[in-house]
Amino acid sequence: MTRSHWQMSVATAEIRCMASTPVIDVERLNLKYGDFHAVKDLSFQVRPGEFYALLGTNGAGKTSTLEVVEGHRTATSGTVRVFGQSPRDRRAVRPRMGIMLQESGFSPDLTVRESVRLFGKLSQRTDRVERVLGVVDLTRKAGTKVSQLSGGEKRRLDFATAVYGTPELIFLDEPTTGLDIQSRDDLWDAVDRLRDDGSTIVLTTHYLEEAQQRADRIGLMHRGTFHREGTVSELTRTLPATIRFFLPARAPALPLQATRENDGTFRIETFGLQKDLFTLLRWAQDHAVELEGLEAGPTRLDDVFRALGSD
Amino acid sequence: MLSIALSELVQIFRNRLVLVTSLVMPAAVSSFFIYRHDVFAALGSLGYIAAVVMFTVGAFGLYATTVTTLASRRQNLFLKRLRSTGAGDTGILTGLLLPITVISLLQVAVIMTVLAVVTGAPDNVLLLAAAVLSMVIMMLGLGLATAGLTNSAEHAQVTTLPISIGTIVVASWVGITGTEDLALLKRLLPGGSATELVVNAWNGGVPLPTSLLLLAPTLSWVTVAVALASRIFRWEPRR
Repeated sequence: MTRSHWQMSVATAEIRCMASTPVIDVERLNLKYGDFHAVKDLSFQVRPGEFYALLGTNGAGKTSTLEVVEGHRTATSGTVRVFGQSPRDRRAVRPRMGIMLQESGFSPDLTVRESVRLFGKLSQRTDRVERVLGVVDLTRKAGTKVSQLSGGEKRRLDFATAVYGTPELIFLDEPTTGLDIQSRDDLWDAVDRLRDDGSTIVLTTHYLEEAQQRADRIGLMHRGTFHREGTVSELTRTLPATIRFFLPARAPALPLQATRENDGTFRIETFGLQKDLFTLLRWAQDHAVELEGLEAGPTRLDDVFRALGSD
Repeated sequence: MLSIALSELVQIFRNRLVLVTSLVMPAAVSSFFIYRHDVFAALGSLGYIAAVVMFTVGAFGLYATTVTTLASRRQNLFLKRLRSTGAGDTGILTGLLLPITVISLLQVAVIMTVLAVVTGAPDNVLLLAAAVLSMVIMMLGLGLATAGLTNSAEHAQVTTLPISIGTIVVASWVGITGTEDLALLKRLLPGGSATELVVNAWNGGVPLPTSLLLLAPTLSWVTVAVALASRIFRWEPRR
């Protein structure tokens, strides 16, 4: 093996090793505010290039967890590593991450361009202000003071400062709150391009369909800890699929066990959707029963989420 | 740090309220003192005029603006956003307070130059500069500490009153009555020894080592203020 080949092999091995190192590594994280235990023994990892969604009920501890991982708050106990370093080491870690906070935090007296320029400079990444403004469709508002922006425009400005210079790790805290449909689509297109460039994304949102469509893995938090964690299919397969329909009066007995809802619909829960749906349809055919409003579908993230609240 | 300072400077000149309280008001009060210098010199001395204009700028221009700036930047989460970047805490605070500090120093320099042109040069310019610097550092320290107790820019109008009014009252008391009586009390009060230092630097007649000792109480206030600030200063609004 020549020296240059050996050097290349070592470099490749290093890259593989770096790639397998988690971008975020949280182990037995605990966070207390006085007597209130906000986060309890939470452990998770986010791998390079992954889209990880942190979801949960109100007050589940998502924001507290994010704030510790972002380095805004100190853990009561446990270990948090970002790029293998403490997130409190801002100089080492922050240039590699972009943070879209839940609330704006811009100076009302600065213009959009001045705000992006300021936080772009402080990010220590290189980019062009005009390019970033173009990504979030704020070019026409570049000279407008932040105080004169709408809520949605402020969110877009927030996103612009977070993605300035295409950071390796991007935190998106409720990124689409207050955005119209077109702006949401534009934002997710921009996120997709960032993923293509290799950025790792950590998302919290109340719009479950956004997480369901995009997240590689989801951590579902409830009362300070993970209730479940996994891919969307891993999470949804733990709950039954549902068949819903209306039955005409005096219909014969159903072939499957069903629950009658308050609005008169019948609901069948099943882990064998295809088989049970076939049984139901064959029964309806045999008895000439019209199943009005028939709906059948796999478990959605919403159902998993609702199950959280009932625990 | 410089980019934060630059943006802060832009904000000062765009915010009329800050512009009036930090620039126009101290300049107007100082102009009045210089215009009626014969009356105030008879009441105290020329050194008293120098001390009171210095504290007018220090209290209303520097101290009140420091508290208002930090409280409002915390309230609208600008401080939290700054901490989301690679900038360190010291760099952030330096950047935020550098413009108003430089403006205040320039104001004091201009006002004292005008006073000197109108009434005659001070006895010891270097000692006067030391007095001004010690006052600036003390007011910054007290501003940081007070910002820890202040929730918003509106709240700052209340929380800054005791020290703003207090230091000017102390400066007037010490400047007019001197330190022959109640010397220890007057020198230990915030602004007391700084006032005596300015009076000595302007009027002369006091040995330099004696005057230099007066820096100690002012710097002690800096230590107390910074220690307090490190305990009570918050970067984010209370939850």
